[in-house]
Amino acid sequence: MAAHPHVEAVRILVVGEADESRAASASEFERVLGRIGDGVEIESRSPHEDLAKDFVPDRLDLLVIDGGFGPQAAVLRQLDRLAGFGPPLLVVLPRADDELALRCFRAGADQCVCVGPDFADVLCEAALELIGDWRAERERGRVEKHVEWLEGLNDAIVNRLPAALVVVAADDAVVSVNPEASRLFSLSPSQAQGRALSQVCPEALYRDAALGDLVASARRGDPPQARRARLYDGERLSRAYDVQAQKLDVEGRVLLVLNEVTASERQAERIDELQRYNANLIQNMNSALVVVGPDARIQFANPMAERLLGRSPGELVGLAIADCFAPEDTGLSLLTRALETGERVQGAECALVARDGCAVPVGVSCSPLRDAPGRTRGAVAVFQDLSEIKQLERQVVQNEKMASIGQLAAGVAHEINNPVGFIHANLFQLGEYLQDLEGVFDGVEALQQVIAGGGDAAAVAEASQSLQGVAEKIALDYLRGDLRKAVEESQEGTERIRHIVRDLRGFSRADNDRSALADINECIDSTANIVWTMSRHAVTLVRDYGEVPRLRCRPMQIKQVVMNLLLNACQAIVERGADCDVPGEVRVRTRARDGGVWIEIRDNGVGIPPEVQARIFDPFFTTKDVGSGTGLGLSTSYGIVERHRGEIRAASEPGIGTSFEVFLPNQTNTDEAVVGGAPQPTPDEGAR
Amino acid sequence: MAGPMFTTQEEAATLLIVDDEPHILSAMRRSLRHEGYELLLAQGPVAALDWLDQRRIDLVLCDQMMPGMRGVQLLGEVARMQPGAARLLITGGGDDRLDRDLDRLGLPEPLTKPWEDAELKETLRKALAQVRSD
Repeated sequence: MAAHPHVEAVRILVVGEADESRAASASEFERVLGRIGDGVEIESRSPHEDLAKDFVPDRLDLLVIDGGFGPQAAVLRQLDRLAGFGPPLLVVLPRADDELALRCFRAGADQCVCVGPDFADVLCEAALELIGDWRAERERGRVEKHVEWLEGLNDAIVNRLPAALVVVAADDAVVSVNPEASRLFSLSPSQAQGRALSQVCPEALYRDAALGDLVASARRGDPPQARRARLYDGERLSRAYDVQAQKLDVEGRVLLVLNEVTASERQAERIDELQRYNANLIQNMNSALVVVGPDARIQFANPMAERLLGRSPGELVGLAIADCFAPEDTGLSLLTRALETGERVQGAECALVARDGCAVPVGVSCSPLRDAPGRTRGAVAVFQDLSEIKQLERQVVQNEKMASIGQLAAGVAHEINNPVGFIHANLFQLGEYLQDLEGVFDGVEALQQVIAGGGDAAAVAEASQSLQGVAEKIALDYLRGDLRKAVEESQEGTERIRHIVRDLRGFSRADNDRSALADINECIDSTANIVWTMSRHAVTLVRDYGEVPRLRCRPMQIKQVVMNLLLNACQAIVERGADCDVPGEVRVRTRARDGGVWIEIRDNGVGIPPEVQARIFDPFFTTKDVGSGTGLGLSTSYGIVERHRGEIRAASEPGIGTSFEVFLPNQTNTDEAVVGGAPQPTPDEGAR
Repeated sequence: MAGPMFTTQEEAATLLIVDDEPHILSAMRRSLRHEGYELLLAQGPVAALDWLDQRRIDLVLCDQMMPGMRGVQLLGEVARMQPGAARLLITGGGDDRLDRDLDRLGLPEPLTKPWEDAELKETLRKALAQVRSD
């Protein structure tokens, strides 16, 4: 059998009945055909099975139909069924039968073999031949298909890809262009053919991409390089190309590939622009911007942040953000929370600590930094320097204080001038009285001398008469009574002045106001005393003080709020005019509630018109005459209460009156920064 | 300037002094007790208006800051009720609208608290002389 050509990995399918009627048994086929090569696989199937279900035609090398079964018609039916299935058909007939063989051929058999003396050899030979032919045919088919595929690919690349392809000859003449290149050059392929590349290519593109050099370099066999050409229409990018040149053959032909990248180039320009814009914004913004990573360390800081914290460029990166805050500052906990929970923080006030240890008051806004899937990757904090604002705020508070004190001083002056007026006049009169009394003293002295000198009754009577005359002249009886009255009235006057001055003294300490534990009732009372002193003509003050806890606050600032509210209340009553029958009344009430103290100041004055009510806390808003109020009283009060983390609100009805409510929370652990201003050492409170 | 200038042909001038502060009235009476005036004292505008209803008055000296009615308002009433009376104001300050009102009502420069005894007496004499000559 060595003489037979040898094949490998052969799969043969034998179709035949599984009974004695077969031309050759299945095992015989296996024995005979198994010799034709290595790894011959033979399977048998009944003619009634659906072969297409189990076999792929291309994977089969040969179909053998055992014609031993049934009548001739059955063989032919099988052939009919399997012709066109794919693999070559070899029919094995039980005996030589030319006619049947002929019919088999006609029906699609590729070969017929009869069982006979040389059956094994004939079968093998026929099988090998058929297998060889079939394999060759399949191979041809594959090559053809490949060529077809390559042609399709070529067509796709050259004609359908949105890239301009140009083949340039050694003399730089265009050999061929694809449709895209034809469009780019605005020339038909045939128009482009044969002309110099520099003539067909748009000049700007040729120049910007240095196409001549590129082609020459590729032709020399230099490593391929890519260039990007950008064409502008004025300022605007009109087109952009990526250009590559590739040497094609020894004849010096070069393939130019021009890829239009206008869209992505525009995008890149836009991204570039946005980045520059962002960078510009961040670099030049008037706020400090700090990006903090999940490890609470600074990843980025803009120049303002560096300036605010007194650091040199780049020094902040890598620093723990905690190092930029005072220990336990509210800002740090806000930032930490933003990092942990992804929560946003808006406009909280806190203090940063600069390198030199100075506290910088800032407003902080903080938002989480998220990546595309939305995980928190850190936080962006923006700090607004409030130093100047704080300074201004202190000035405003001070100005307003001065304004209220001015207003107050005018009222107080009146109250002091009244007693001073009658004390002064009384003292003058007492001087006159004294002068009158000198006469009495002289008379008494004379009488004494007469008596001591042993003068007679007539002399005594004369002296007595004379004294009597003086007493009558000066109306001594009246004088005696009025003397006492003048002194008592004057004493009462000095007492009144003493009280006013004592109450006023509280306000003279306004400049060194420190946070302290204060009795709110006392704060209100001393302030009310002063205001009432000047307003007592028109206003009755009703004090309704509840049991309230001592609060940590800036007492002078609280007094200022109370004074503003009381002055407004008195003003509102004065504005009712003289015709009002109802006596003017201001009620001051304090109550401990909601973990703090509520202060209510209610008047029955003119009230605030509804259209004005929303604006009363606005700075410089005033309904008073020009010159009588700065319009900052309520806005300053608002600011003070807010710095105490409290609340101030108003309710008013024109013609009925106005009520202001102030809430001050009990902040036992409050740091100085909360109540405003830089921390100051707390001296002995009792020393004041 | 010894003694009142008008004692020759006229009866004592009647002065109405108005102040809500009784000690001021008391001090005024003390000061003016030898001036030969008939002094009417009113502790506030209501009492003053009563006197104005009842008596002919030569001069009203009135405090500016009083409950219910300001001095200038009362003097406005005086001008209506007794046009012949001299009107004087005394003030302890504390009213920034005063200057405007003085101009409007044609009132002289007010006396100020605390006052000097001589100045008070002199001002009263001059004001009386003024209305008497009119």
